[in-house]
Amino acid sequence: MMQPTRSRPRSPLRSRPLARIRAALALAVAASTLAACSIQIQSAPDPSIPDDTMLVAADNGSPLFEKNFNPFMINKRVAAFYMYEPLIVLDNLNAQEHPWLATGYTQPDPSTILFDIRQGVTWSDGEDFTAEDVGFTFQLLKDNPSLDLQGIWSYIDTFETGDDTVTVHLSAPDVPAAQLIASTTLIVPEHIWADVEDPTTWRNPDPVGTGPYTLGNFAPQQYTVDKNQDYWQADTVAAEHLILPATNTQLDVATKGYDWAYSFISDVEGAWVGAGNQNTYWFPPGGTIALFPNLTKAPYNDVNVRLGLSTALDRAAVGDAAAEGYMDPAGQTNILLPNQEDVLNPDIPDSGLISQNTAKALDYFAAAGYTQQGGKLVDASGAQLSLTITTAAGYNDWLKGVQEVQKQWGAVGVDVKVESPQPAAYTLALRNGEYDFAMGATGGTGNTFRDFNNLLSSEWVKPVGEEASNNFERFSDPAVDKLLAEFKVALDPAVQADLADHLQEVVYDQIPSISLYYGGSWGLFSDAKFTGWPSADDPYASPKTYESTPLLVLTSLKKVNDD
Amino acid sequence: MTSTQAAPRGVDGVAPAGTSPTDAARTPSPALKALGYLGRKLGLFALTLWAAVTVNFLLPRLMPGTPADAALSKLAQNGPVSEATKAAIEAQLGVPTGNIASQYVAYLHQVVTLDFGISYTFYPQSVGELVSAALPYTLVLVGLVTVIAFVLGTLLGVLAAWKRGTWLDSVPTLVGSFLSAFPYFWTALLLLFFAGYVLRLFPTSGAYGPTATPNFSVEFLGDALYHGVLPALTILITSLGGWILGMRNTMISTLGDDYVTFAEANGLKPRTIALRYAARNAILPNLTSFGLALGGVVGGSILVEQVFGYPGIGYLLFNAVVNQDYPLMQALFLMITVSVLIANFLVDILYGVLDPRTRR
Repeated sequence: MMQPTRSRPRSPLRSRPLARIRAALALAVAASTLAACSIQIQSAPDPSIPDDTMLVAADNGSPLFEKNFNPFMINKRVAAFYMYEPLIVLDNLNAQEHPWLATGYTQPDPSTILFDIRQGVTWSDGEDFTAEDVGFTFQLLKDNPSLDLQGIWSYIDTFETGDDTVTVHLSAPDVPAAQLIASTTLIVPEHIWADVEDPTTWRNPDPVGTGPYTLGNFAPQQYTVDKNQDYWQADTVAAEHLILPATNTQLDVATKGYDWAYSFISDVEGAWVGAGNQNTYWFPPGGTIALFPNLTKAPYNDVNVRLGLSTALDRAAVGDAAAEGYMDPAGQTNILLPNQEDVLNPDIPDSGLISQNTAKALDYFAAAGYTQQGGKLVDASGAQLSLTITTAAGYNDWLKGVQEVQKQWGAVGVDVKVESPQPAAYTLALRNGEYDFAMGATGGTGNTFRDFNNLLSSEWVKPVGEEASNNFERFSDPAVDKLLAEFKVALDPAVQADLADHLQEVVYDQIPSISLYYGGSWGLFSDAKFTGWPSADDPYASPKTYESTPLLVLTSLKKVNDD
Repeated sequence: MTSTQAAPRGVDGVAPAGTSPTDAARTPSPALKALGYLGRKLGLFALTLWAAVTVNFLLPRLMPGTPADAALSKLAQNGPVSEATKAAIEAQLGVPTGNIASQYVAYLHQVVTLDFGISYTFYPQSVGELVSAALPYTLVLVGLVTVIAFVLGTLLGVLAAWKRGTWLDSVPTLVGSFLSAFPYFWTALLLLFFAGYVLRLFPTSGAYGPTATPNFSVEFLGDALYHGVLPALTILITSLGGWILGMRNTMISTLGDDYVTFAEANGLKPRTIALRYAARNAILPNLTSFGLALGGVVGGSILVEQVFGYPGIGYLLFNAVVNQDYPLMQALFLMITVSVLIANFLVDILYGVLDPRTRR
């Protein structure tokens, strides 16, 4: 919209009193708006939504929904995750596997996986689910690489289907690959998909799956899914219908009586819990937010500089600045606490949490050749240690964290600049290794091997200017690669635990990334209609509404008014 | 763009505009002249169009990062992304390959055939599908409100200038300038909060009820109208003041001109003087703005649509830019540019009719 052009008034006198009145009025309105800020938001659930129906902020249309339930597409409707199921559900918070369409799997050797396929499962159109469907899905992803979002065919060599088994032969020994293949491949029915002309563009408007829900009414601004009455564990599913609106603004979520949302709300106590409707929340760590040093650049390739920078940080203050105090500072071990406590190396002091110690930091800097002069940290030639932190525009929590880091490093005499390009440009800089320090997330895949392999393995390392898909800091150490190689083929949990301990020491001692604070999983729940949500006391699943972990939640809830 | 730099002085002293200059003898033929004027304008239009089309091709490609990077950065917020994921995303999106020249040729072909391919963000939806779903809402909402605001604002401006010094002047001027000082999104947020949440008078998001499917039934149209009230009010409130002030100020300067005094001295009816003499000249700058605003209608009102979750072009454009959706961005920018150009062209022609001096 264009503003009309305005020619100057003839009489210059007129504009003055006008401007004054305008200013006074503006002030009055501003004051009344400020007063309005203290209004307590009240949740007023729509009375037309019955007790057995759940309002979920899970899917966002932009702004309208497109009817796309092809589970292999990145722009699918989120409810496709409630209709199509994987062989196992992996809870990425606890790193726990739950048998799903497979009753279990065994690994006779590190390159073979034997899946036992669940019997008695039917598709929502009544046909039987068989091992053939699993094989068909694997083949579908092989034939259409663009659908293979998780790249399972970079691990698989061949597979064969038995009566109630599927055997997968990997192209190389890789124990953790089993979990990836089993937990990310959503199984589709052969009797429907075999006739699809081009599965890479098919929008699957009438989805038929094995999951707890089937598609109900679909409109561009809202759709519903209905309970699959013949679901193989139908007695565990409490909600008869889920309603998924296309716009879920924070004000909507707080005022319209949502039962489940995955969203960060500022002042969650006041705005969400305070809104009534028996609202609760749980914000467990879902990953580690860290600063990646560029290890191809001096002086960040000097471990003493990294140790100095790491020790100069008050991580709690960084976490508070970034996540309003809802997230804990992260330990320097690349594992999520408290959820993955059993993986933690008990020999690492303080659970890996590094506390701020300026004197110690200056010792590390001194070992790297940097001394404080006139409040500046300078090297032998007198040049100040200066660096730029790259973060993405629009990620305000990250930016607030970075600004706190800037302040703290500035206090020990480091000159810190902040750059925040658009997300796409930030991603490119990170992948290309064209930065000094970059904000990023690490860990939280739910697989300990993958958490460390992504961060440390030299297999990812690409020259600066070429895109790396992991290990953006370009860490490379043959000894660590050897540990990872052993981990990759280790079938014995005791050996795996021992290797995980070693890898935590590597992260703790060599600082391939400076862990700052935990990135949250923002679960908002209401106990008004359904109870049994995951919580700190009962952390059985991630609170997120997308991917396959919602299956764990949807099969654990209980109705409050059971009639 | 032309503007009234000098106050018009009619050669015959009474009618300042609308009548052709008397020295028609020197010019070959008025019809030919008008045709020449049209030709010049058309040529200029074609040149600007080509430039706009080309800039529209280049700009998105100058942005750092690719659509796949944008998609990846969204995924990476939730956790690490595997190497294969990027390849799969690129394969799904069909991220452009080939050198810039062949892309340009392909792009020109798309422009001519109006086929902009598949959107990256909303894959596998085509750009055409998305635009045709969003355009009606924006056209009706923003278009209608712009016309209402222009007509209402201009009339109020004429009234204010004619009755200057009275309450008919001070009230619209004061209120208008006060309201136009509000930023769009702020007005939108205030309306959303008070009329939407506190009083619960109007729905707070969407273009129609959650369960409705677009059709031409009376229920649906009523529903859509009801959902359009708050966004429309926002645009009206913030744009009305500009029209009032613009019209009033130019009109006041015209009213001071000799030909108006002459008309008054001749004893013409005040109404005739106000509307046919003063307002006709004073409306020219406002008309230019109106042309631009009308052209801009197609671009939607990004902030307003964003605040109200209104599924129009503005919302679509925002998503396209954020996600580096080249095909969608190109189609939208092209649409906006072309409609602004066409609006300008039409205003230029209209100018020629309203003010014969511009034809020379």
